[in-house]
Amino acid sequence: MSQAREEILGKLRQAYGRGPGAPVANIPPTARIVPRTTAAPETELAQLLTEIGKLSGVTRRVASMDGFRAALADLVRAEGVKRATCWTTPEMDAWGVAAALQALDVEIVPADADKYLVAACELGVTGVDAALPETGTLALTSSPDRPRVASLLPRVHLALLRPAVLRPDLHQVFAETQAAGYSVLISGPSRTADIELTLTLGVHGPKSLYVWVMEMA
Amino acid sequence: MSQVPTTIDFRRNTQAVPAQMPAAVQKATAKFLGNRAVLVEALGNEYWQTLRQAGHDIRLHAITHIEHYLEKAEAAVTRAGGQVHWARDAEEARRILLDIAARHRVKLAVKGKSMATEEIGLNHALEAAGIRVLETDLGEYIVQLKGVGPAHIVVPAFHLSKEEIAALFHEKLGVDAPAEAEKLTQIARMKLREEFLSAEMGISGGNFLVADTGTIVTVTNEGNGRMCTTVPPVHVAVVGIDKVVPDWESLTVLLKLLARSATGQKLSCYTQFISGPPRSAAETGPREMHLILLDNGRSRILKTPACRETLLCIRCGACLNICPVYNNVGGYAYGYPISGPTGVIFASQILGPKVAGALPFASTLCGACNEICPVKIPITQILLHLRRRVVEGDETEDAAAPHSLRLGAQVGAVAIGTPGLYRLGSELLKRLQAPFVRGGWMPRLPAPLNRWTMSRPFPAFAADFRQWWRDRPAAGGKRGNNEPGA
Amino acid sequence: MAIKAQLFITCLAEQFFPDVLKRMIGLLERLGVQVEFPEEQTCCGQPFFNSGYRSQARDLAVKWLKVFGRTDGFIVSPSGSCVDTVRHHFPELFPPGSAEHRQAEEAAARTFEFTQFLVQQLKVTDVGARFPRKVTYHASCHLLRGLAARDEPKALLRAVQGLELVPLPGEETCCGFGGSFSVIYPEVSKAMMEAKVRAIESTGAEVVAVGDAGCIMNIAGGLRKAGSPIRTMHLIEILTAGKEAA
Repeated sequence: MSQAREEILGKLRQAYGRGPGAPVANIPPTARIVPRTTAAPETELAQLLTEIGKLSGVTRRVASMDGFRAALADLVRAEGVKRATCWTTPEMDAWGVAAALQALDVEIVPADADKYLVAACELGVTGVDAALPETGTLALTSSPDRPRVASLLPRVHLALLRPAVLRPDLHQVFAETQAAGYSVLISGPSRTADIELTLTLGVHGPKSLYVWVMEMA
Repeated sequence: MSQVPTTIDFRRNTQAVPAQMPAAVQKATAKFLGNRAVLVEALGNEYWQTLRQAGHDIRLHAITHIEHYLEKAEAAVTRAGGQVHWARDAEEARRILLDIAARHRVKLAVKGKSMATEEIGLNHALEAAGIRVLETDLGEYIVQLKGVGPAHIVVPAFHLSKEEIAALFHEKLGVDAPAEAEKLTQIARMKLREEFLSAEMGISGGNFLVADTGTIVTVTNEGNGRMCTTVPPVHVAVVGIDKVVPDWESLTVLLKLLARSATGQKLSCYTQFISGPPRSAAETGPREMHLILLDNGRSRILKTPACRETLLCIRCGACLNICPVYNNVGGYAYGYPISGPTGVIFASQILGPKVAGALPFASTLCGACNEICPVKIPITQILLHLRRRVVEGDETEDAAAPHSLRLGAQVGAVAIGTPGLYRLGSELLKRLQAPFVRGGWMPRLPAPLNRWTMSRPFPAFAADFRQWWRDRPAAGGKRGNNEPGA
Repeated sequence: MAIKAQLFITCLAEQFFPDVLKRMIGLLERLGVQVEFPEEQTCCGQPFFNSGYRSQARDLAVKWLKVFGRTDGFIVSPSGSCVDTVRHHFPELFPPGSAEHRQAEEAAARTFEFTQFLVQQLKVTDVGARFPRKVTYHASCHLLRGLAARDEPKALLRAVQGLELVPLPGEETCCGFGGSFSVIYPEVSKAMMEAKVRAIESTGAEVVAVGDAGCIMNIAGGLRKAGSPIRTMHLIEILTAGKEAA
């Protein structure tokens, strides 16, 4: 292998006065913490929505397909959406996301289209793989039908989540997401306080985050 | 600023601190400390201390078995389709990255905030090779435009007013920029989007490297970290070898500590987990992913047991925020991209006593940093060792202090340690001070004590305790133990 | 059997604040403590230790341990930083298992800063003092953090009759003395001292109470330079106000 690699590993071993293949201690128990305990599902959901609100995310509970389509129409109008890029998971199909958007005259841009076209989309619609009430966090993994750019490039990110994806703590989320090649924890819209410590939203990531709880069966 | 300094003259740097800097620093640090305090109180101090101990223990375990976890990480990254490179020093790291850039004919690189890349002077090297490199963290973007380094590891441009930033944008970007944070942010967003989309390479650091799955973790609020690692076709991550952690469970502790300690947020806006390039061609993301593992003196730090915990640092900046020295001088005085207490112990060792010998003394040893550090680095203990290294040398380094100082200290110690000489000195000082004393104080003294009296008077020598003790009709007629008569 | 306390007077208190030492003795004796003074003591070596001169610090520690090692009873000092040096740094100067290391640990176990001695060992918080003034308290760093004396000084102050204790903004922020720091980086030391002085002035207190000689030198000097009428007093001076020194 490379000389640099051997030298560095050699120096590290030398610093500890040991050779290759030295035994590795177990991780001490004091290095582990107990996961957060959950409250009742309704309380957890309420906390999630409250925390997202504190981060300037906008939340909504959607009880029916009609309600979903009406809310989508409001959003498209309010945010001036002309183009959107979406996840294409079976879940998204079941909710008829693309169809509903097209019915509102929104052009659907595939995520693997030219990146300038994707970047020109006003709206990105994704599902949510897991959610953390304590911090108002959404966990999204990546795959061919879950493109990363949908939650990154457009100015508006609409995240649709089922109540079943709530998890008590990072421990459970990581147990599920660590095998994925890519995941991201999203806690609110993009922000910075770099200018005079004044908080501004929408630096590089989305400026607006909408999180809708899809409670229909 | 990111060039390796010749010698850091901390005193001269503190004399050059602009008048408005302390107030600007204190405004920023007060905000972070205040937000942090709210969250720590909400968690409860007992739980917070448990978290800190867990953070310390997992980081210590990781660097105690560092080569094991690095090999594991390398294997995992390679399995995931990433390419791993090892860099012994800054020059090698720069060369590796430039080679990758040359192969991909990179003309423009976009960069997320990374202390490791500042440490190796990467931007300068890229520009020298004719490659434009753009800092994308808003604060770093601003100071890059201005041609200076970061003044704080979390908010690099906190010391600049919005008027100064507006003027800077006008001058460098040719835009009419109103002096409003919101509008300036939108201008930066627009400008940088064009750059993200056209860049051939995205460069990032890594907050953590998970050995089990070869996962690079990046933490940002702005989304620039995600942009740099998702949009350009090639992603290169420069990660210090000290960043390795065993598994994802480790992250549960460290992520609970990091944002709370840094800015008083429960979690930063975007915490990203990258395990190699996308696994299928149908997935959006970079086509190629490279990880450069950077030593650059970290292995040397591990040679000294008393200093190993220097590498526990998770770069939260809390110690900067609480440090009274940092709060009065800001980041530039330290002459290194990482400043404050953690910067002092890191830079002192990376640069060595000849270059950075002034730094370990840039502290009153007040210990506030020890208390606030989320991973319980014994910073003042390490400072004491580094001071000894400068003065006396140790197993790893030669002394950097001049011989005359050590000779003076030896003479001083003998004088002070010999009771007869000590008492004589005490009497002499009481007599010699007479011309300087005004009302029990000495407002002006000759060098080197003028360094004291330039700011406040020195008290008059007034030792009379020993005589008083001997003269008093003490209970039971006792004097000192086993002492001969005076 | 009376409690016995060996006086560890410290070089700074001896040179600049001998009155504090005399008052400390008076108070201890009034509390029934038998006080002794090992005359061969000079300095614990803290300035050398903190400045990296470990060999010299070791030499002075050996001498200190020789002087106090042949005493019995508690070792009591009016200085938090010196006690911190003895308790925490002396053992570090000698190889574990050596005779000196054992000696250092033995001495460390019975060396106490004055307020901690009163509250923890004598179990006293009310010493019968009276000081009807508005007082604010600056928490010296080594006392606060090195010795974890968060509560003892203020518990003693609160028990003083007539004393109005007002909070000091940035009570726990370093005053900028830092020993040699004050002359190695005088500009920064000055800035920190001036911030402390401004904070003290903002409280409207008549007196600032401090537990460490170094801080007192710095703060009292700074207040005097600022033309302030605020008095800087060692905790012991407040606890013995109106009483004669022993």
